[in-house]
Amino acid sequence: MPNIIIDAKTLEFKKGQTIIEAAQDNGIEIPHFCWHPKLSVSGNCRICLVEVEQMPKLVIACSTIASEGMVVHTKSEKVIAAQNAVMEFLLINHPLDCPICDEAGECKLQDYAYKYSLGESRFVEEKVQKDKRIKLGPNVMFDGERCISCSRCIRFCDEIAKDPELTFVQRGDHVTIRTYPGQEMDNPYSMNTIDICPVGALTSTDFRFKARVWDMSSNKSVCVGCSRGCNTDIWVRNNEILRQTTRYNEKVNSFWMCDHGRLETFKHVNAESRVHYPQIRKDGELVEVGWDEAFSEAVSHLKTFPKDQIAVVGSPFATCEDNFITAKFAKSVLSTGNLDFIRHTNPEFADDILRNEDVTPNTKGAVLSGLVPSQAGLDINGIIKAIKDQKIKALYLIEDDLVQCFPELESSIAKLELLIVHTSNYNSSTNYADIVFPASTYAEKHGTFLNGFGVLQRIRPAVATAELDRALDGMNMSRLDKFGTKFDSWAAGKKNEARPTWKILVSISKALGYKMKYNMAEEVFSDMASSIIELKGIDYDEISESGVQLKVEDNKTVNAG
Amino acid sequence: MEKILLPDIENLHLIDVYISNGGYEAAKKAFTQTSDDIIDQVKKSGLRGRGGAAFSAGLKWSFMPKTTDKPKYLCVNGDESEPGSFKDRQIFEINPHQMIEGTIITCYAIGAKTAYVYIRGEYHKWIRLLQKAIDDAYEKGFIGKKMKETFNTDFQCDIYIHKGAGAYICGEESSLMNSLEGKRGYPRVKPPFPAQNGLWGCPTTINNVETIANVPKIIEKGWEWFSKIGHPKHPGTLLFGVSGHVNKPGVYELPTGTLLTDIIYKYAGGVPNDKKILCVIPGGTSMPPLRGDKLEGVKMDAESLKEAESAIGTGGVIVMDEDTDLVKVLARIAHFYHHESCGQCTPCREGTGWLEKILKRILAGNGSTSDLELLITVANQIEGNTICALGEAAAWPVKYMVERFRYYFEARVNDEVSLPIANKVHSMRETSYPLADVKK
Repeated sequence: MPNIIIDAKTLEFKKGQTIIEAAQDNGIEIPHFCWHPKLSVSGNCRICLVEVEQMPKLVIACSTIASEGMVVHTKSEKVIAAQNAVMEFLLINHPLDCPICDEAGECKLQDYAYKYSLGESRFVEEKVQKDKRIKLGPNVMFDGERCISCSRCIRFCDEIAKDPELTFVQRGDHVTIRTYPGQEMDNPYSMNTIDICPVGALTSTDFRFKARVWDMSSNKSVCVGCSRGCNTDIWVRNNEILRQTTRYNEKVNSFWMCDHGRLETFKHVNAESRVHYPQIRKDGELVEVGWDEAFSEAVSHLKTFPKDQIAVVGSPFATCEDNFITAKFAKSVLSTGNLDFIRHTNPEFADDILRNEDVTPNTKGAVLSGLVPSQAGLDINGIIKAIKDQKIKALYLIEDDLVQCFPELESSIAKLELLIVHTSNYNSSTNYADIVFPASTYAEKHGTFLNGFGVLQRIRPAVATAELDRALDGMNMSRLDKFGTKFDSWAAGKKNEARPTWKILVSISKALGYKMKYNMAEEVFSDMASSIIELKGIDYDEISESGVQLKVEDNKTVNAG
Repeated sequence: MEKILLPDIENLHLIDVYISNGGYEAAKKAFTQTSDDIIDQVKKSGLRGRGGAAFSAGLKWSFMPKTTDKPKYLCVNGDESEPGSFKDRQIFEINPHQMIEGTIITCYAIGAKTAYVYIRGEYHKWIRLLQKAIDDAYEKGFIGKKMKETFNTDFQCDIYIHKGAGAYICGEESSLMNSLEGKRGYPRVKPPFPAQNGLWGCPTTINNVETIANVPKIIEKGWEWFSKIGHPKHPGTLLFGVSGHVNKPGVYELPTGTLLTDIIYKYAGGVPNDKKILCVIPGGTSMPPLRGDKLEGVKMDAESLKEAESAIGTGGVIVMDEDTDLVKVLARIAHFYHHESCGQCTPCREGTGWLEKILKRILAGNGSTSDLELLITVANQIEGNTICALGEAAAWPVKYMVERFRYYFEARVNDEVSLPIANKVHSMRETSYPLADVKK
C-alpha cells in the first residue's frame, strides 16, 4: 500500500483516497463540517484546509487525492491561521444562541470553536438576519441564522433519500436553504438531515426544546420498526424516552434510519396506555394484583386444560430470548405443539433504501428460536380456525394483538375460556384477557433480534423498570442519573412494574413445577447458543455493538430443545 | 499600428464585408492542417488568455484529451462582468465574425462539436447582434451541416448563445459551466479541471471572447507575426477599456506593453481639468490598484504589471483623479463583491460582507485605526482559502488599497475608538499560536 506522511507520521492509505479519508483511517481527525463519508464532496466549509508540501496554496483535505510520498501538515502555522480564519468567519454571523439551542452539547461548530478557533471575535458590526423557524417538512424545522451553508442536508436529499427537495437560495452571506417551490421536505428519511447538520440549523419538530443533550442518557439499541433493524441510540431523561437517533453500522443501516423508526417506534414506551401491574379479571373487570397472585391464578387455570385445547402465540416483536422460552414453555411445560406467531407485513412500507416489507424486528429470530408448531401441532392459521371452532379453549398470547390483526375473530376470542396476555400496552386483545402480564418493551430489556438479512443484534435497556437498576444492569447514565438522588424529582421518573416475557414465563414454569434456571437474558442466550446450530459459539460479547452475520436460510425451522 | 481585433473597416459586422476582407479564409486554411498543428501554432504564438489570468491559450487547449468516448465542448466566455471591463461587447458589435471564425478553428483544434458562447444577460443588444452574425454564418455554411462543402472537411460544429441571468460569479469558468447546465452558479472545486471534467462531466475548454477572436489572425498571418507584436512574453494587442476620470473614455486596441501613462494621456485624452491622478486600477476592480505617483514607466502587459505589483486582469483601466473619495470607491467595490459572492464557501461568503460593513462604517466616520489592520487581516483570511478566484478578487482591492493609500485611510479614521470587548472563550487547542490580547 502507498504511504502518506501526515504530521511527520508515515501512514498507509488506499489508492484513490482523499487526504481526509487517509487520515481518518489512521485515526487522525482533520476538522470538517461539509464533508461526510457517505456524501459527495462539496468542499465549501474550508475548515479542512491543510498544507501539502510542493503545493503553493493550502488545499482542502476532503477533495485532494492522497498520493505516494505526499507530505501533509495539519498543524502548521499556516493551517492554524486558516482554521482560525474559517472559524472566525463562521461565527461572525452565527447567532451564538447555544444556551437555547437544541444542538448545544453535540454541535460541531461549538466543539470546533474550542478546538480550532482563537476563541475571540473582532466582529463589531450588525449580524446578517435570516429567516428562522422555517418548517421545511413535517419533521424538520430550519433556522437560517444558525445554518453554516455546508449543504449536507441538500446532498443527503439528492443522494441518499433520492428525493431532491432542498436548495440554496439567495447569494453571499444571505444564502439560505429552502425547499423547492411547492415542495415539502417530506421524504421518509428527512430527519437524517438533523443528525448530519453540524449545527443547530435543522432541529426535530418532535424533540425541539425537550431536553439538553447532556441531561439525557443514551443507550445502544435497535429500531423495531421493520426487519432492517437500524442501529439506534435511545435518549432518556427522567426515565422517559425523548428521542431515538441512528447509530452507525455499515452492515445494517450505515448512518441512516427512517423517520418512522425515529418517531413512531418508541412512543408506546412512554404512553398512557402502559400496563403497570399484573391484572386479573374479577367480575368482568381487570384488577391490579401482585405478581405472585397473578402467577398462581395463571397456573391454576392452565392446569385445567388438556394440551390440545391450549395454543401459544409468540411474537416477532419479542426478542429471541423471549421466543426461545416461549417455545420451551409451550412444548415442554404446557406440552402443546399449537405454537406459532403472527406475520406482520406491509408492502407499501418497503422501499429500496432501508425499509423492509416485514414490519417486525425479529421474524427470522422468532423462527430460529423455535417458534414453530410441532408436527401434529397447529400453525397460526390452524390456531385461528380452532379458536373459531372453539376447539382451542385456552390461548396464551405473547406481545401481539390478535384481535386487531384478525377483527373477525373478536367474538370467538370473547368465548375463550382462558386468555392470558403478555403486553406492554393495553390493546384490543386485553379487552378479553383473563390475566394480563405487563411485559417490558424493547427499551427495557436485554436481548437479541435477528434482522431480515440474518444479522443478529443486541438491544439494551434504556428505560429502567422496577426490576432493572441503571448501574447494576449496565445502563449508560446521564449527568442527572449520576448526580441525582432519589429525593430529586427530576432524576427519578416513573418506573414500570414490567418484566421481560422470558422472565415471566420462567416464573410460571416454576410454579407449574418445571424449573428453568435463568436469571439473565444472557443465560437464556447461552443456552440457545448451545442448542441452536446457527448460534453456535456466539455470545453477547461477540454480538457487541455492531451485530453478527448469521448464516440462516429463509424459512428454516429449528426445533428448540 | 495594425489593429487585430477592431480594425477600422466600416460595417465589418456584416458577413459580406467580413468575407470581402479575407474573412473565413483562416478557417479554410485551418482545415487543411491537423488539429495538433493548430494547437502548436497557437502555443508558439504566445497567445495568452484575455479573461484575467493570462494563461497560455495553446497550452490550455493541449490539456484536452485526444482520445475520449465523451463529447468535448468549447465555452466562449462573454460574461464580461468585471467592473471596469467592457471590451468583449466591442467585438460582438464591431467584429463578431472574427470571434465566430475563431470559435470554429478552436472547436476544430480541440475536437469540440459544440460551442457555447456565454453572454451576460444584460447584453440584450449584443446578444441580438451576435445571434444575427451566427445565423448569417450558418447560412453561408461556415457552421453546421454545410461545413462539409464550404471547408471540404468532415469536421462539423455548432455554436449556441447562452444568456446569463445576472451573476458576476458566472464569469468564473466552472460556475459558467454549472450555469450552462441549468444549475446554480456555484464554482466547482478544482481539480478536476474542465479539460478532464467540464460541461456535463465532459472535457471542456473555456476561453475568453477576446482570446478566441485573436485565433483567426494567428492562423492567417502565422504565429511568428503574432509573437512579435507587443511584449514578447505576452504578445498581441489588448483591448483596453479606459474609464473614470479621463477626457476620452472608451476601448483602445493597443499592443501589450504600452505605457499606462500613454494610454491615459495620449489615447484617452488625459484627465479632465488637468487634475492629478490619485489612483489607477489597471485591469478591472479586482486587481491591485496603483498609486498615482507611481505610474511612471508602468507598462500594460501581464509580466510588467506583475513587477509593478498589480495584474493585467481584463485590461479595464479605471482612472481616479485627486478629488476622488477613495474610501467611497473601496466601499463601493467591497459592496460589489459582497453582493456578487455566491455564498458557497465560508471565507468569501462571510468575509466579503464583513469587509463591506467595516468600510461603510469608516465611510460614516466611525472607523478607527485598528479597523485598517482588521481590513487587511480579513482580506488575508479570505485570500487563498476559497474555492474560486472571487476570494482574491474581493480581497486584493481592499488589501492593496488600504496598504498603498494608508495615509489616505488614516486621515479618515479616528485614533481612538471604544470597541466593545471581544467575546473571548478559553481556547483548548494545543498550540503555541498566540492568543490576541483583549482590547481594553
